[in-house]
Amino acid sequence: MTPEQIALVQSSFERVGPDLPNLATRFYQELFGLNPALRPLFTTDLTLQKVRFAEKLTEIVWAFPRLPELLAHTRALGARHAGYGVRAADYQTVCDALLGALAAVLGDAFDAPTREAWVTAYNLVAETMLEGAASARPIGA
Amino acid sequence: MLAAVTTTLQRWPIIGRRSELEVFEKALCSGEQAGLVIHGRPGVGKTRLADECLQWAAASGYPTERVVGSRTTDLLPLGAVTGLLAGGLGRPGPDGQVNMVALFEDTRRALLARHEGHRLVTVADDVTLLDAASLALLGYLAAQGTIFLIATVRTGDPVPDLLTDLWRDGRAARVDLQDLSRTQLDTLLHLALGGPIEAGAGREFWEITEGNPLYVHELVLGALESAVLVERSGVWHLEGRLPATSRLRDLVEQRIGGLTPQARSVLELLALTQPLELGYLETTAPSEVLESLERAGLIAVTDWEVRVAHPLHGEVVRAAMPRLRTRGILLAEAERLEASRPDPGPAALRIAVWRLDAGGRPDPAILVRGAHLARSAHDFRLVRRLIEAVPADKVDGVAALLLGEALYETGAFEAAERALARGQGLPSSEQVALRLAVMRAKNAQWGLCQTEAALAINAAARAVVTSPPLAEELVADEASIWTFSGHPDRALEVLERLPDGDRRTRVVRAIAAAPALAVTGRTAEALRVAESGYADHIALGDELAIAHPAMHIVNQVFALAEAGRLAEAEQLARAGAEIVASNRVPIAQIFFATSQGRVAILQGRLATARRYYAEAAGLAEASLFAGPRRLVLSGLALAHALLGESDAAARVLAERAAGPAFGFRGPEQQLADAWTAIASRHPDQGARLFREAASLAASTGHRTNEAWVLHDLMRATGEDTSGRLRELAAACDSPLVSARARHAAAARARNARELAGAADDFEALGALLLAAEAASGAAEAFTRAGDRRAATAALRRANVLTAACEGAATPGLVQPAGAVPLSGREREIVVLAAEGMTSRDIAERLYLSVRTVDNHLQHAYAKLGVSSRAGLAQALGSES
Repeated sequence: MTPEQIALVQSSFERVGPDLPNLATRFYQELFGLNPALRPLFTTDLTLQKVRFAEKLTEIVWAFPRLPELLAHTRALGARHAGYGVRAADYQTVCDALLGALAAVLGDAFDAPTREAWVTAYNLVAETMLEGAASARPIGA
Repeated sequence: MLAAVTTTLQRWPIIGRRSELEVFEKALCSGEQAGLVIHGRPGVGKTRLADECLQWAAASGYPTERVVGSRTTDLLPLGAVTGLLAGGLGRPGPDGQVNMVALFEDTRRALLARHEGHRLVTVADDVTLLDAASLALLGYLAAQGTIFLIATVRTGDPVPDLLTDLWRDGRAARVDLQDLSRTQLDTLLHLALGGPIEAGAGREFWEITEGNPLYVHELVLGALESAVLVERSGVWHLEGRLPATSRLRDLVEQRIGGLTPQARSVLELLALTQPLELGYLETTAPSEVLESLERAGLIAVTDWEVRVAHPLHGEVVRAAMPRLRTRGILLAEAERLEASRPDPGPAALRIAVWRLDAGGRPDPAILVRGAHLARSAHDFRLVRRLIEAVPADKVDGVAALLLGEALYETGAFEAAERALARGQGLPSSEQVALRLAVMRAKNAQWGLCQTEAALAINAAARAVVTSPPLAEELVADEASIWTFSGHPDRALEVLERLPDGDRRTRVVRAIAAAPALAVTGRTAEALRVAESGYADHIALGDELAIAHPAMHIVNQVFALAEAGRLAEAEQLARAGAEIVASNRVPIAQIFFATSQGRVAILQGRLATARRYYAEAAGLAEASLFAGPRRLVLSGLALAHALLGESDAAARVLAERAAGPAFGFRGPEQQLADAWTAIASRHPDQGARLFREAASLAASTGHRTNEAWVLHDLMRATGEDTSGRLRELAAACDSPLVSARARHAAAARARNARELAGAADDFEALGALLLAAEAASGAAEAFTRAGDRRAATAALRRANVLTAACEGAATPGLVQPAGAVPLSGREREIVVLAAEGMTSRDIAERLYLSVRTVDNHLQHAYAKLGVSSRAGLAQALGSES
């Protein structure tokens, strides 16, 4: 990522501000719309799930300038998701859902450079989550 | 950082291959598949993926083995697979021949025994290079389920029957590896380098490697070793050309090694002179040669033009060519191109460069012509190269001007001074004389940081340049020197004597006038001037010896900020930064990053400000511009100080002290010193520094700066500055200055309603830190007046505003319950808890889990020294 892209991700996330709950709601709507088969993977209460999503997203967005901190978050998160049976292909669906949710909440502020910055940021997160998942996955999972 | 990088590099990250790894895991664990075939172009990462599969298998408890095909082992039957021959080499039969069937079966049994029935996961790298016997053995063992075979195959190589058989039966999985996408490359670089990379550098890696992982790997290592890729302030920058390492050369040679001499010479011709017209190439090489090259993916053919398909191939072919051959091709091509048209036009650049590359002596006229073209593409290094090749006695005023500008732009300020001074001694037109003088003054001011010298150069030129439009430009230029040396009042005085002038004069005038107007408090006028200056500049085109058009946008951002229109300033600065990042104009990049940092400071987004300034510091260090670097380091120190990071601020100031003085925005630069003293708990020293800055501002006409400094003096020490601020508010058309004056007056009178009003004003402008401080003041004043309800509301507001300030630690943010600062989140939660909300309610309201809320509350209790919600309410002075 470029420093400008990190700044764009953070400033656009800042702009979400009080709409964070809406972003979370919208994210799960988009996700289950894109792939209804993912719904059963979420066994916890969806309200609580949204809270966790918002918290985790906040932590990750602010950790971007410090790679070791970011990796600590994403690897652990990835390891946890491997246990839920999430596969590499699902990460693309999650990316699409996140972009859809951001576009809906940010409106015109979600312009092309902002979108590109999020795509790049997401890829970094997804790759390192998958790395965490790979080292945690039990045999035969 | 470099130590960190080298450790990271030992484990080069594997990116964009997780789906393929899942295919492998599934195939291995299903128990029904006999193997996996990995297809892909050379360098795409087949071996790396196979190794990753092997590692995973080993970690999961499988025994593993590796066999490698090569050009030498394929002659020796079973030479590559000796590691598998657990049962020995077999006994010769009565006919003296080894019975292969028996040997295979012996091997199978021996392997089963050795690995206690576990499948042996075996990588066969470059399987097509294995001898027939080895292949047959692998096929047998895989089909029997004794081994799980992972085979890599280069795209285009014939696939051995054994593999096609396995596929046909659906007993082998297959993956086709592709090069990395741009996004994947960005992720790879980020992880490999351990941090962000400057936009232009990232693009260069992409353009050269086109996502081929092996090329990326080699280029990154080579660039780190040769210190072309360097880290500055946490961001990676590319300083120079990416080197082709010897390993990289070998790789490319492998790819193009088998070409016929005819095909190779086409590639060489293209590598040196591409793109070439298809029609012309067809006259030099038979069409079947071109077709075979295109089929092999080595050249790319569009409707008109032909290029080497992969940029890296071109580089390597060029590097490997004998000098004489290079020279012959280049000279012949230059001749051909020159002969093909009476006026070379834009081809002049190519002709000049080819002749130079060939070690020849191009016609000086062609060199200068080429330099003009290179200059219009802002390729200043090429301009230098071309003009430096002109014999000394052939350098005229224009050539000296081109060279001087190019030297200045590439940071060779002393050499620029010499070239321009020499140029002034040559006979030239009045216009060229003017531009030489302007350029030399600019170099003196911005490059050498010598304002007096710049003014002297300008004054001396007045004697030579006397015709109206040109003489006027000199006057506008004098104003520019005054503006950027910290004398806006003098600049405006000079400009008042100047008639409107021609377009070029208007452009120069606008660059000087806009910042001077803004800082003297005429922000609306400043904005108009900057806008029309930009329009004039675009209409004028890109001329010699004049600033980059983006400077007008920098000036607009400055005017918007001084007017307190912070959201607009932020937006414009961001848009400008994006434009210049793609153009790679260092000075403009520095100014935009600085503008973004400055606006963020005014908004109270301090961590963001620190980030922008750190980025600008890296750019400034790389570009050698000492003056702008001083501005940047001042901003960086200020951001640190406002965040309470006094050590970091002091370090940056020490770094700044090592460079020369630079007068532009002088009073603002001194804010860094004053706030650093405050953050280091030297309030008396801080107050003295604020007063010095204020008197410098007053004596040079920096009205908006003076207001900033005086307001900060009040914020930092409580000293009353309301009288002078009131005068400044009247003299400036800026709501930000007015809000500062209102805040100071209200603070002096301890007028709670007025303090709250000032907070409203600041918040409306987007100056959140100032709003937070005014609201804190209001809370205190309401408490003193006994209005607890209003005090609680003001406090709550102050807390919410402070939370938006990314860790601000200024004295004006009143800590109601003691000296230990609460974090933004803690503040938010404490205020709600004190109002009587339950943890569950708070969790819902703030979108946190209940546990997180409770954790924050516990921390807050500890910091405030209370043990219950009731204590909390008391600590906050609320009545609940």
